[in-house]
Amino acid sequence: MSGDRTSESGPLAYADWRDRLEDGELVGLECRSCGHVTATPKRACIDCGDRILDTCSLPTTGTVHSETTITVPPVGFEGPYQVGVIDLGETKLMGRIRGDEGVEIGASVEFADTVELDGMPAPVFEPVE
Amino acid sequence: MTRATIVGGGMTSFGPHDQPLEELFADAAFASMDDAGIAGDEIDAFYLGNALGGQTESDTHLAPKLATHIGLQGIPCQRFEDACATSSNAFKHAVQAVESGVHDVALVGGVERCTPETGLGTGEMTRIFAGASHRQYEQPTGLTFPGVFALLTKRHMHEYGTTEEQLAEVAVKNHHHGQFNPKAHFGRDTDVEAVLETPIIADPFHLMDCCPFSDGASAVLVVSDDLADSFTGEPVSVTGVGHRTDAVPLADKASLPETRAARDAAAEAYEQAGITADDVDVAEVHDCFTGAEVLAIEALGLFEDGTGGRAAADGETYIDGEMPVNPSGGLKAKGHPIGATGTAQLVELTEQLRGDAADRQVDDARTAVAHNLGGDAATTVVTVLEARA
Ligand SMILES: [Zn+2]
Repeated sequence: MSGDRTSESGPLAYADWRDRLEDGELVGLECRSCGHVTATPKRACIDCGDRILDTCSLPTTGTVHSETTITVPPVGFEGPYQVGVIDLGETKLMGRIRGDEGVEIGASVEFADTVELDGMPAPVFEPVE
Repeated sequence: MTRATIVGGGMTSFGPHDQPLEELFADAAFASMDDAGIAGDEIDAFYLGNALGGQTESDTHLAPKLATHIGLQGIPCQRFEDACATSSNAFKHAVQAVESGVHDVALVGGVERCTPETGLGTGEMTRIFAGASHRQYEQPTGLTFPGVFALLTKRHMHEYGTTEEQLAEVAVKNHHHGQFNPKAHFGRDTDVEAVLETPIIADPFHLMDCCPFSDGASAVLVVSDDLADSFTGEPVSVTGVGHRTDAVPLADKASLPETRAARDAAAEAYEQAGITADDVDVAEVHDCFTGAEVLAIEALGLFEDGTGGRAAADGETYIDGEMPVNPSGGLKAKGHPIGATGTAQLVELTEQLRGDAADRQVDDARTAVAHNLGGDAATTVVTVLEARA
């Protein structure tokens, strides 16, 4: 458990997660019963089902757990772009990965920005030198 | 133990079809009824799989519509939607219904149109398919379904050293099989080099690593075990149906390459059937992308974890190999009309267990397994079928 994490009570809803993401903050939930951490809001723990979950701030740096560069996008997107599952230590989060070269599994990345679809933001990560 | 019996199966060819869903489905339904020797007035329930009709064709409430078109109006009809596992889930419910005595004879099938015959292009269909990923936490990244399976597969490549050439070998194998299936969307001999020369869709997947957008329909007739010999269609026993799910969004899955739902569904189905993976003679698995077949054959226990990537390259999963996988050509070559895929796997395996699969017949096929997944593998249905003693 990292020492710099802040905890607050009450369920983290999508609107809070979205607003804080747009403000440059990654927040998730930690189960008070079993300690499981998730990077996106839920109303109960996906490990034990307990409903008491504390909002916690997540690290903004992590490593690429898996990635792909999408060449054929859905309508509304301009490809190619890289998407990845980022390992933040105690949990994982999906996001875009920005950079000319593209990064590989195991690379260090940092939360830098957001992209948006229909008013819904997604985190954008950038390679850390 | 036998839970239910398939006494008939039928499907349309998979590929572009310029027909309403009801006409497309009628062709498959009547083929299955004629194969079973079952008349419409003997069917007392209809279980339908259709995943996308509302988005692709503004066509919903399809179960009574299709029933009306084929003379079944009035009986209980229901539609299922679980992404690509749609008609397997319909099948599961039909098996439960005849097993418990709620119904005697159930028609189960699926129908879907995904080709440009719908009026939708690649970008629009890619967006519609992406609807099965998480709306808030995945879709805004621009994730696609080739992208989803690329994320799962690249992790397998990272952990086990699986290569792009090995993935291409899966496409080569399934296209080889497809040429022996007159209902298949594609099928011709190709080679690894040709697969790797096709454009990248989402790395590591080239175009030839991806199943096509297909139109088509499939259907089976499911009856209780004690009615199995009441019809002219040669019966095949349903001895296990396992159904499990996993977390969405996929970042919450404990492991990307293990496809947990498939492992749990297989364990459930094998236990019901009283078999192990060693007993399986032939498998139809959900190879929506070449990497998905690798993950599936490991999750089913047909190959050790980490060795699935070599299976096609080593010849083991060919029709005449040690463990034949996707003799139909699989989704890769046979095609993938989403809601029709699950029951189409069962149509293929019924033919295999009857010994009726002609040029793609697996020798001495007695025990068969179907693996049909939905979405990012968060739904998986595994079915065990066995030839009757
Ligand atoms: Zn918990």
